[in-house]
Amino acid sequence: MRSKAIAAVGVAAVGALALAACTGGGSSGGASSGGATAAGPITLNYWAWGTAQDGMVAAWNKSHPDIQVKRTDAGGGTDSSTKLLTATRAGNAPDTALVEFQTVPAMIVANVATDITKYVGDAKGSFTNSVWSLVTFNSAIYGVPQDVGPMAFIYNKDRLDKLGVSLPTTWAEFATAAKKVHAADPSTYLSTFNTSEFGFFAGMAQEAGAKWWSVDGTTWTVQIDGPESIAVANYWQDLLDSGAIKAEDLLTPQWNQELNNGKILSWPSALWAPGVIYGVAPKMAGQWAMAPLPQWTPGNSAVAYQGGSAVVVTTSSKHPKEAAAFAAWINSSQEGAGVQLSTGQYPASKLGQESATKSAPPLLMPQQTDYWQLGSKIAANTIPSISWGPDVNVASSAFQDAMAKAVANRTPLRDALTEVQKVVVADMKKTGFTVAN
Amino acid sequence: MTTTNPHPPMRRRRRGTAAPYVFLTPAVVLYVCFLLIPILYSIFLSFRGLRLVSGGAFGHRQETFIGLGNYATALTDPEFLAGFRRLAIYGIIAVPLTLGLALLFALLLDLGAARAKRFSRTAIFIPYAVPGVVASLMWGFMYLPVTSPFSYITEKLGWGTIPFLENPEIFSSVANIAIWSGVGFNMIILYTSLRGIPTDILDSALMDGANEWQIAARIKIPLVAPALVLTGLFALIGTLQVYGEPTTLRPMTNAITQTWVPLMTIYRDAFIRDNLSLAAASSVVLALGTLVVSVVLLRLTQKRAFGED
Amino acid sequence: MSTDVRGASHSTPLLAKAVPTAVLLVGAFYCLVPVAWVLVASTKSRSQLFTTFTLAPGTGLADNLRNLFAYGDGQYGKWALNSLLYAGVGAVLSMIVSTMSGYALAKYRFRGSNVVFFAILGGVLLPGITLAIPQYLLMSKIGIAGSAWSVLLPSIISPFGIYLSRVYAMSAVPTETMEAARLDGASERRIFSAIATPMMVPGMVTVFMLQFVGIWNNFLLPFIMLSDQDRYPITVGLYTLLSKGSGEPALYSLAIIGSALSIIPLVLLLLFLQRFWRMDLISGGLKG
Repeated sequence: MRSKAIAAVGVAAVGALALAACTGGGSSGGASSGGATAAGPITLNYWAWGTAQDGMVAAWNKSHPDIQVKRTDAGGGTDSSTKLLTATRAGNAPDTALVEFQTVPAMIVANVATDITKYVGDAKGSFTNSVWSLVTFNSAIYGVPQDVGPMAFIYNKDRLDKLGVSLPTTWAEFATAAKKVHAADPSTYLSTFNTSEFGFFAGMAQEAGAKWWSVDGTTWTVQIDGPESIAVANYWQDLLDSGAIKAEDLLTPQWNQELNNGKILSWPSALWAPGVIYGVAPKMAGQWAMAPLPQWTPGNSAVAYQGGSAVVVTTSSKHPKEAAAFAAWINSSQEGAGVQLSTGQYPASKLGQESATKSAPPLLMPQQTDYWQLGSKIAANTIPSISWGPDVNVASSAFQDAMAKAVANRTPLRDALTEVQKVVVADMKKTGFTVAN
Repeated sequence: MTTTNPHPPMRRRRRGTAAPYVFLTPAVVLYVCFLLIPILYSIFLSFRGLRLVSGGAFGHRQETFIGLGNYATALTDPEFLAGFRRLAIYGIIAVPLTLGLALLFALLLDLGAARAKRFSRTAIFIPYAVPGVVASLMWGFMYLPVTSPFSYITEKLGWGTIPFLENPEIFSSVANIAIWSGVGFNMIILYTSLRGIPTDILDSALMDGANEWQIAARIKIPLVAPALVLTGLFALIGTLQVYGEPTTLRPMTNAITQTWVPLMTIYRDAFIRDNLSLAAASSVVLALGTLVVSVVLLRLTQKRAFGED
Repeated sequence: MSTDVRGASHSTPLLAKAVPTAVLLVGAFYCLVPVAWVLVASTKSRSQLFTTFTLAPGTGLADNLRNLFAYGDGQYGKWALNSLLYAGVGAVLSMIVSTMSGYALAKYRFRGSNVVFFAILGGVLLPGITLAIPQYLLMSKIGIAGSAWSVLLPSIISPFGIYLSRVYAMSAVPTETMEAARLDGASERRIFSAIATPMMVPGMVTVFMLQFVGIWNNFLLPFIMLSDQDRYPITVGLYTLLSKGSGEPALYSLAIIGSALSIIPLVLLLLFLQRFWRMDLISGGLKG
């Protein structure tokens, strides 16, 4: 009796296995695209995170009945891109995926993202040159920008006014303001220094004129510890040493509570920040405001990007043309932009940014009615070309480790930068790239 | 054990030949598919690496044979080795405390005099039902100054907050999570082992005038030594493979780096740096180390008769 | 089984009763405090979480529950069902395979039995990460990566379960009974199913419980195998609530209430199975 049951289970298991293998496992993360038979529509798979995605995909599906897209949430930026690498190796990758700008070169080198120049050439006009340059490598296009994060200064205006500190417009003024804030109330800090915010530090360095990776022909130059970047490291070093700024991880329960209690007064980051702050401190609506990011040189106004992502088409896709059309459409059409704005994404497309100026300000700062006008001014004035290298993931993890160690052991931050430089160059050389230094 | 029906052994062996193989087939098939082949593939991978093939600044990388290069990198990587040092500190705290507390509670449960045994036993066992991620999350909040009840008390007493999440207290904090999770399970193993001690031995010891302490030390502990060794072995293997607790705590503290323990380094190499071959080599090193430690432990405790092991 | 040694209570002094009891209660308290904390914290709303005293209950329980189940179109419910599926089916299959294997290794003498046994035991030493990627690549080749099977199949083989079953079979299934049945003309299969299996029930329950808890609590394997968030078990699901990446804050209140809820089924299961399992199996095999 029991052995019959066992045998039955065994047969069922083998049967199910065979069935699953035949039908491709029925997994939504499985081999890309349902078959394009003459009768049925083509199905594309799309991996993306964020609240804007479902709306954009639904809008596409409605207007393109013969090319249907299925969206899967494969995790945030880092998780999703690591899964992409493994999935490509297994032949399991989706047709398209959302990838952060800084990760795109790594995707190219890992043979995940495919060249779509011939499919999306006419989408170029929908974006500014500096945004389009974020997906251009060696004159080939590898993705369509979806959202950008022009850097800006988000701060607790109420508290700053109460403490009698005026809004800083340069980093020098920021340092003075930080010291003044801390002197007025020793438990309050103008902002925190976060050792895992690689993107922010890179943005500040770029604003100072640093070019971490640049390529000339086939030779790379890596300058993560160039003079401008060292200056940025020294700047934060001084602030940390003086006690005016403390090192603390962002968005942890600790940080959230301090923010809510008015003990952390600003977050220099990007235009998408208000939504995040609102998520952890909804009661502070009306107390915060946005201003241009402080500059190194008075009178300058160009800023870098922090974050932002693009939609790439994968080498595993059997329908690159349709996939590229999907990517171009959701990121540059009126419907797509509408969804982006309603969910708090700042569109990369010119169309989207114009529409943004007609939207209501973010929930965190309903009193700042010119938010989007200011935002689009900032977005129109970004550093012309920002170049990421093929091993940004290595740089990012080395940066986080080295900085965390420097802060924990109280060694100079600039030494941590030099360490990152060493690791990145060694990694590129080992892989076989020609590196100038 | 006397057989009631003596018959020639030959007949028994011949009749039973096929059956054990049949019974073992599913396990062997699964083992080969999901343990043996993957580990062999890992070893194969460890001798290869990704190198640039096509030229150009954005050329593609491909896998080629590179011999012992990965092993050299792994064994000379200061972070990887530092991870082992940290593991040692963590292990020295976690393993003796887990087993010590488990033994203590087991002995106490075995005492006739103790009360509230049923409740305590169940309560101490509950952490076993909590997944590592959840346990780390809960303890993480208990460590954070803003939400920690312990820091709340010390603050009210004027002593400031307890620096659970800073160096060097971080080692005890992480170890504590493992201890909390492991005491109950090990306690039950030791307790049931204690219940298996024949009562005549204990009776005669009592009649000889021994008190409970002496009974515990001289009789009970030596008799559960095999169980202690087994739990010790598993605790050691668990220590060498610790991954979940530091990873979940990492967003909450600067003291835990991305490569705090060897398995985190392996994960970073495999997934974040997309260097599967290096990760494979490091895993082989880790597995060999675990093997060596286990064998040494078992050899050292060989005196406790193990039977057929 | 109660004797004077263990059952004696009437003549022992108060201190001898109080001290061990106190120590045990401290241990119980230590083990329960985080659980109590998470239950209390799950009643706090998002803004109360970081602003009120940590052990004071809040008013947001109903809201939290609603948000939890509404998140991602009911993803939490899906995660819970997935955990149940993976752990339930996985534990049953593992129990069957382990019992068959343990029985075979214990009650039969055949060539290679020791090799097989030690090889299987050696599987305990391998770190999960080492196996995960090759397993993933293998699953992709067969075409089932990302489906429930990719999580179930590797969970079925349990070296520890086989070890336990072997130990239990050795002591619980007398060879004479098997001999007698053979003489009566029973086939090996029948001996196993009709005679041995009923005798091994407590051991089987133990293996089932250990595997259920192990699979339910497993994080790494499903994290690597599955890419669709709808198929995640609770452990991986909770992790994604916490690690939303830069630009989106972790959903702490959801993670907390999700954790609080996830503990309940396992605790109930353990309490229910308490009277059936045989944990002395684990050390039993080592007695000289």
